[in-house]
Amino acid sequence: MASRAPALPRPGGCLKIMLADATYDSGRLTLRLFLRRGVVALLMLAAFESLTGCMDEVASRPAIAYTGDPIVDGNAERAAAPPKDRALWDDRIAATALRLGNFDEAKAKLDDAILQGGGIINNTADAAKARSLFHPEDTKAFIGEPYERIMDYYYRAILYWRDGEPDNARACYRTGQVLSSDVEKHEYKSDFVLLYYLEGLASEKLGEDASDVFARAQALTKRHLPPYNKDANVLVFAEYGHGPVKYAGGEYSEQLRFYTEESRIRSARLTVDGHKAWLPPYDNLNHQATTRGGRVMDHILGNKAVFKGTTDTVGNVALLGAVVAANQDSRQGNEAAVGLAAIGLISKIASAATTPRADIRTWDNLPQFLSFAALKLAPGEHSGQIEYLTRDGDPDPDLTREVTITVPADTSANTIVFLSELPH
Amino acid sequence: MPPIFREIFSYTMKTTHRFIVLSSLAATAAFFAGCASEGVKNPSGVPVTQMNPDEQGYVAGTGVESQDLVTVTDKMARSILSTPAIASATTPPRIVIDPVENATRFPIDKSLFSDRIRIMLNSKATGRVIFLARERMKALEHERELKLSGQVTSSYDPTPVAFKGADFFLTGKLEGLTTKTSAGTSDYILYSFQLIDARTSEIVWEDSAEIKKQGLEDAAYR
Repeated sequence: MASRAPALPRPGGCLKIMLADATYDSGRLTLRLFLRRGVVALLMLAAFESLTGCMDEVASRPAIAYTGDPIVDGNAERAAAPPKDRALWDDRIAATALRLGNFDEAKAKLDDAILQGGGIINNTADAAKARSLFHPEDTKAFIGEPYERIMDYYYRAILYWRDGEPDNARACYRTGQVLSSDVEKHEYKSDFVLLYYLEGLASEKLGEDASDVFARAQALTKRHLPPYNKDANVLVFAEYGHGPVKYAGGEYSEQLRFYTEESRIRSARLTVDGHKAWLPPYDNLNHQATTRGGRVMDHILGNKAVFKGTTDTVGNVALLGAVVAANQDSRQGNEAAVGLAAIGLISKIASAATTPRADIRTWDNLPQFLSFAALKLAPGEHSGQIEYLTRDGDPDPDLTREVTITVPADTSANTIVFLSELPH
Repeated sequence: MPPIFREIFSYTMKTTHRFIVLSSLAATAAFFAGCASEGVKNPSGVPVTQMNPDEQGYVAGTGVESQDLVTVTDKMARSILSTPAIASATTPPRIVIDPVENATRFPIDKSLFSDRIRIMLNSKATGRVIFLARERMKALEHERELKLSGQVTSSYDPTPVAFKGADFFLTGKLEGLTTKTSAGTSDYILYSFQLIDARTSEIVWEDSAEIKKQGLEDAAYR
């Protein structure tokens, strides 16, 4: 029977030829037509679905009228951004606000970012989507990588110091230590020097013994950490260099990687009333970002990439097989060609729809280096100068700035000085 | 083509047809299923749900939450009233609240604890203890100065100092212990409160509450 049957037209050939062939059994013809049309329709539908995605995901972004004020513009960006990116804009605006001295704005934004990322996030639809084959990782709400989340707490602690709440500042440092600990590598310890050193300072200020925390901080760095001075009433937080930027690597952009650029500025010097306070780099965010172990999400993205690659290969093989079968110039060969083409196309579509892309949303105005110094100054106004020094120890004149430190008469409160090389 | 090969080829083609149909259906179902699940769970949002402050909501962490605050302060208020220094006092003792110290890893508004204990005692045990508003001293002193200078009227002689001294200080401390492993995060918090005799520095009452929570984040955030 098979030998009597004429060759099927090649896929995509004229249907009329097939219909005109009198040797075809009408039932089989109907079935074949149904199969072909069904397969084609399903493939088109699937392709359309994969290409368009769900319509509700496409949201138009309102136009932003930029003012040149980084906080106003940042808030406009935040308002225009999808809800999943709200914490990202909170972070960026908070850092800018701190540098511009708008502490209330910084506090509001950091509190919001911490609120979004501070709990145990589970059973959320966007996180489930981010794990699924057909959605990129950045579908989930941004809370940042550990070094970014730590910076939320690090900056918030500065504002707690400013508000006279060293215990809440200490709480921030302790949460930062938990976030910094690397559970993936099974090294449940943090290597963030200032989180320990400043935790100890807060404890000392609260009248507790912090010698063990100081020792832990000292063990994390080769630099000599200054012993705590309980009488210090001016706390200087400095930062310089540009922090890490994320990018996606791997064949399918499934690997989260960090671009780091070593800062030209390697330390800072604050001169107040003729006295010099050194601000060496105690912590390096580039190091924090790049030395932490892998994420669980990396495995998921890796699996997505494997699926994408496998389905792509299967698609290629099936389509190649379809071409070979079609060239057999026999009915069986043509039937096989149709089948293989269908399998190939489905595999190719599945591959194209799989999105293993890593989340590269970055808190892009973080510094590279963090530093700290504690001073004891008499109440009143003090003139000073901050200099940022290169590797050779020479100050960069373009970055040197005058600073005024006002110490209140109430000596129980700490005066906070925040100095950043970054403009905003 | 030998018959045996024809049979095999025919069987293969039937299988191929079935496979095409099944895989097409599966693919289509997968695409539709994918779209349906992503979509939009609760497309119209979730209406505001009123909850009791002592029950756990669906937004939860391992830190200090409202239900902990309610549980702890309720327990402390009841415990304070049953202590002999308060229960057998002939005149209502005067209490000053000393700020609670937060030694956990969770930054919180610490005054919530002492405020709620004060509110519970003032509302449920009226007159058995009296709290002094030391945190308002600046405004109170300013008012007295205005009265003394005659800038405002006074229904009493403002000359003698009438601000009361404390019989007791009520204070507390929140301490925590955190464990984080690949299995999740666990936080234990010890809430302890003390009533300290202002004259003798004796701790006349102390009580505590312990709460432990643990959870594991979605893999997308680990």
